[in-house]
Amino acid sequence: MSAPALASTSRSARSSVGRKLAAYNASPTQALALLVIALLLIAFLVVPIVRVIVVAFTGPAGGFSLVHFGDFFRTGLLRESFWNSVYVGVMTVVVASLIAVPLATLLSRFQFRGAALIHTLGVLPLVMPPFVGAIAMQLIYGRNGTINLILGDHFGFRIPFMEGLNGVIFVEALHYFPFILLNLSASLANIDTSMEESAQNLGASGFTLFSRIVFPLALPGYVAGAALVFVKVFDDLATPLLLNVNAMLAPQAYLKITSVGIADPMGYVISVIMICAALGAMAISTLALRHIDFATTQRGGGGLGRRSLGRFGNTVAAVFVVLILLLVLSPHIGIFLLSIGTVWSFAELPDGYTLAHYATVFSEAQGLIGNTVLYCGLAGLIDVIIGAVLAYLVLRTRLPGRKLVEQVALAAVAVPGLVLGIGLLRTYYDVHLPFTDVPFATFWLMLVIAYAVRRLPYALTAATAALRQLHLSLEEAAENLGAGKLSTLSRIVVPLVTGGLFAGFVTSFATAAVELSATLLLVASERDAPISYGIYVYMQSAAGRGPGAALGVIAVVTVAIATYCAYRLSERERDRRSRGGLAV
Amino acid sequence: MTRSVRIENVSFGYGGTPVLDDVSLDVGAGEFFAFLGPSGSGKTTLLRLIAGFGEPASGRILIGDTDVTDLPPWKRNVGMVFQSYALWPHMTVAKNVAFGLERRKLPRADIARKVESALALVGLAGYADRRPAQLSGGQQQRVALARTLAIEPDVLLLDEPLSNLDAKLRVEMRAELRRLQRKLGLTAIYVTHDQEEANAIADRIAVLDGGKIQQVGTPVALYDHPANRFVATFLGTANLVEGRIAGDRFESDGWSLPGIAGGDGATCIAIRPQDIIPGTEGAVRATVTEKEFLGGHTRYRMQAGRHSLIVDVPHRGDAGGLPLGSDVALSIDPKRVTPLR
Amino acid sequence: MSSFIRPLILAAALTGFAATAHAQALEDKLTIVTSFSKDLTVPFAQAFEKKHPGTKVEVQNRNTAAAVAFIRETKSNPPDIMWASAPDAFEVLKKDKLLQAYKPQAPGIAEKVGSYPVNDPENFYTGFAASGYGIMYNTRYLRANSLPAPKEWDDLKKPVYAGHVGISAPSRSGTTHLTVETMLQGEGWEKGWATLLEIGGNFAQVSDRSFGVPDAVNSGQYGIGIVIDFFGLSAKASGFPVEFVYPTVTTLVPANVGIIANAKNPNAAKAFVEFLLSDEGQQLLLDPKIQRLPVKATAYAKAPAGYPNPFKDASLGARVKFDADVSEARYALLNSLFDRIITFRLKELNAAWKAIHEAEAKAKSTEAKRLIEEARRLATAVPIGDKEATEPAIAASFKELKKGEKAAGRQAEFEEKWDSFAIAHYTDAKAMAEKALAAK
Repeated sequence: MSAPALASTSRSARSSVGRKLAAYNASPTQALALLVIALLLIAFLVVPIVRVIVVAFTGPAGGFSLVHFGDFFRTGLLRESFWNSVYVGVMTVVVASLIAVPLATLLSRFQFRGAALIHTLGVLPLVMPPFVGAIAMQLIYGRNGTINLILGDHFGFRIPFMEGLNGVIFVEALHYFPFILLNLSASLANIDTSMEESAQNLGASGFTLFSRIVFPLALPGYVAGAALVFVKVFDDLATPLLLNVNAMLAPQAYLKITSVGIADPMGYVISVIMICAALGAMAISTLALRHIDFATTQRGGGGLGRRSLGRFGNTVAAVFVVLILLLVLSPHIGIFLLSIGTVWSFAELPDGYTLAHYATVFSEAQGLIGNTVLYCGLAGLIDVIIGAVLAYLVLRTRLPGRKLVEQVALAAVAVPGLVLGIGLLRTYYDVHLPFTDVPFATFWLMLVIAYAVRRLPYALTAATAALRQLHLSLEEAAENLGAGKLSTLSRIVVPLVTGGLFAGFVTSFATAAVELSATLLLVASERDAPISYGIYVYMQSAAGRGPGAALGVIAVVTVAIATYCAYRLSERERDRRSRGGLAV
Repeated sequence: MTRSVRIENVSFGYGGTPVLDDVSLDVGAGEFFAFLGPSGSGKTTLLRLIAGFGEPASGRILIGDTDVTDLPPWKRNVGMVFQSYALWPHMTVAKNVAFGLERRKLPRADIARKVESALALVGLAGYADRRPAQLSGGQQQRVALARTLAIEPDVLLLDEPLSNLDAKLRVEMRAELRRLQRKLGLTAIYVTHDQEEANAIADRIAVLDGGKIQQVGTPVALYDHPANRFVATFLGTANLVEGRIAGDRFESDGWSLPGIAGGDGATCIAIRPQDIIPGTEGAVRATVTEKEFLGGHTRYRMQAGRHSLIVDVPHRGDAGGLPLGSDVALSIDPKRVTPLR
Repeated sequence: MSSFIRPLILAAALTGFAATAHAQALEDKLTIVTSFSKDLTVPFAQAFEKKHPGTKVEVQNRNTAAAVAFIRETKSNPPDIMWASAPDAFEVLKKDKLLQAYKPQAPGIAEKVGSYPVNDPENFYTGFAASGYGIMYNTRYLRANSLPAPKEWDDLKKPVYAGHVGISAPSRSGTTHLTVETMLQGEGWEKGWATLLEIGGNFAQVSDRSFGVPDAVNSGQYGIGIVIDFFGLSAKASGFPVEFVYPTVTTLVPANVGIIANAKNPNAAKAFVEFLLSDEGQQLLLDPKIQRLPVKATAYAKAPAGYPNPFKDASLGARVKFDADVSEARYALLNSLFDRIITFRLKELNAAWKAIHEAEAKAKSTEAKRLIEEARRLATAVPIGDKEATEPAIAASFKELKKGEKAAGRQAEFEEKWDSFAIAHYTDAKAMAEKALAAK
């Protein structure tokens, strides 16, 4: 075959592919990007999970069967667990909203001096190191915790903060409200000022203005956050276990899967049902927003004007913020006291104070901190990049299969860490790194991948919410000026959705920093271990409680510093933008 | 009810930068008033202060007899149409229009009726259940207008409301705006940077520049008797000739124009291009350097001594006009000359 | 087929050992997977490295479930040693052929500590220490609530302890499982369950991890925990206001070590097992932060005064004859049964016993006493009999089926039955007790 003939065939082939892609409103690069993301998800999520949960679909005599799902619905305890999980999920969204919505409003609509503080402290509840957080919560709110001991001594009654389903709701709301806070404030920041001003002009103010105009406009962010809260609460097992509430789905699945020597497939059946429920919640939230064009940022940002609060307003706001922060940060205060306390037992405060635990930690566990920053930073970065690209492809192209890829990515939120851990080990233990005999599964990068996969949904929902608000014309303008799809994405879209991406990064980073279930399975040597592993190891004995808490404090501080830096970065970006586009 | 607007010694600034400097102004009840100025002149800021967005550093604002300086926007009953329309995407057209009425706690039946008539007024009956995203730019503009008119505001504020429309639609809409304002007898204040739009629509115009009001008057008065160089050049085209006026005579390089009243001590005169008549006789001699045929008239650029002038000659039939390079004498009616200080 | 292979492996291991153990140098690395805390692993790892300077010990701390999963998934390149308490984990690994047999050479190791055999009869894993179950309590808590210190299991039945007692679930803690099994074997199935259910009426919590119980007692969340001795003793040694007592009837459970099949460093692994059983290794167990009972009688010579010694103190674990076959046959069933009728229905069980205790405190008439009797019968009933529980077909419902095996049903079916049984009985018991209270 001659060269020109070859060239012409390939050109005609390309142009026919190009025509097809044009029909999908996509460039070849975008199609390629979707393909790469799909392959990554298949490799590190779908295949590993399927290899584990296949037992849920295997009958007692082998072969495909749905008999176990029948058993699920025939079992009273599991039905009860299902409804309890739904109830707790919904109520947590309500309570978390009561905390997050005022905070987000204060942050994005008023000049409030503590804004950076709220931003940083507002993320900390997510950074609740397992075990330490549990002990700290019990020491403060438990039936013989600080508050109840004080109440009991002075007033003769106790409040069962930590009992039953309502206890779960209380703890979960304190833990997960940042999802709503982060997403909602990103959304609020993207609303054009004139939307609000026109309502004021027509006579709306205060609560009416907020509930009728501002909040509905920020709905994409709120719904994204609320859906995440619901799904996380639905899947969270640490809190129900801590409060000893077993009749919920997540603890039921966990207890089944992690019981040594039990071959009951029910644990995996529950996992499948939880994944479906999570997808259902996400789908409902998308459905709720389907007809609404929320692209309110026409001038490219600036956001709502921040009004001054006045002295009275400032005082009220400060009191409210301090109260909420005290409430949500009490476990962290507890961890801190634990880390500097000698013995703390059935008392309002520790018996004495010491720095010995920090000395222990610094002499034994320095590498852990660097590992955590490296792994979680990388995981957060991967999430933000994949999340932004995928959200873009889903909203702006009509490539076939993009919705499916999105659904798969979202499903990761409901995958128990242990299931993913086992799946990754099973799939990649025999794959060795080139030129070594180190199994890929226990190489430290696999931890990064496990973190990134399980937290991709946070970044994806955040990016989707931000993009939904971004008017298409801003991109079209760039394309019109000769920017390709890729440079439009990187030069126009990404800078404009920085706020949303920031929210995604922080959530991924912070929650990865304290992830334990997959960590425990994938860490192969102490040298490669992150802080969460160190905390686990210390918290296995009475003597390790102090050092474990000290490590917990270090984890919290690390995340706080990283969050603060990321916040400053994104604020600078926002300032730069709004100065450019300010119309007087 | 329609009311007058009075602005008394208002100053305003962002941070350290003054945006408005001691502005005073009266807008009569039922008047269609325009704020005209280049961008950065403070016209939008002044409009927003009337609506209550921002508090003046000093001075006060009265609507009718009421001092509204300290009233928040939602208590002023001032209707504002935003440049971006600011229609709420999560509400239907009807909901958007009903919003302000609901705030005023009207009975439901009244609201429905008023929404309907407001939409009919702007020619959008039958669009009540659409969402803003389903409307064209012109339709969105009408909804924004209907939403504002529905509350029967004391004053209607319009912030460059037509700037997002195409030229033809813009001309139609401004005529319609004017018609509506007359019909409803509203006091309207209209912000624009387009002098043609201001001339076409406004009873009176305030020209702003650098945060100060340069001149207030009817379009004709501003055109014929600009108060300063800025107004003279911003409204239409003017020849500014620097020189000196002593008594009633203007003197400059090769110029000597008698009969100019009230200009003693002025350092400059403004002459409109059509007020300079080239011929064989006149006070000033000039040479034709450029010419442009513009349909209704021909625009010449001429050099008169060290002054470059623009001269418009009406086109009447098949004449070739003045050839380039020809010397002409220019006659100028002193009554059409405006002395400037 | 496995019955042919197992003796072969065993024989190979045994003959192989004599030739290799001392002659061959140790490998330069040893990877240990463990669920033990740092307090225990660090001293042992350091002492071992000191003794064998050429070998670097890599300790991977994982909880038992993660450890088993890890070993299962890493067959191609496994770690060398599994080191943990839970005998059930070792049973699972052994069944999956993930351990290799090794008979330690160290002399002077007892065959049995208490009544429980120290080693796996086929030598797939080896007990290197023992621990006894007992009662741990927080002294501040008891003082604040004016509670007497409990001494015996039966004390825990008393109404004063309602809501003050914690235990970990047998399904979550192999050692608790053995304790429960020992109680059932000691008192008999029906009576044993009656005791468990009556104590269960006082449970504040059934924890999902072994360490959850001492943790809660340490912080004073509840006052009394049924725990393994070293949890109590080491907490006390760390300064917590807690005490630990062995009841007269107690059980001893071993802590084990096993070499993983196809270990990369077999010589170092064997040396480690030998080290654990050596005088030096056994001595280390007496460390106040470790507090385990050596399985070598001579190691107690240097123990501090008052250190429990099962070789001298006959009450420590000796009362009960432990039948390992019975235990194995109903292992998974017992876990599931306990969860269904106690762990997951704790609220209902608590309520039933609260009502019974209230009625008992006030009841005088014979009618009331009859009703209370009936309520007690309901609240102590177990949904499955002794015979059934060990029946192979029923036990098979709780296991992964091998070829040719038949199960009587699916686990989920049994569990649903037991769950309904528990709810119905506890509700009825409560109603009956309330009736008794009304009748006085």
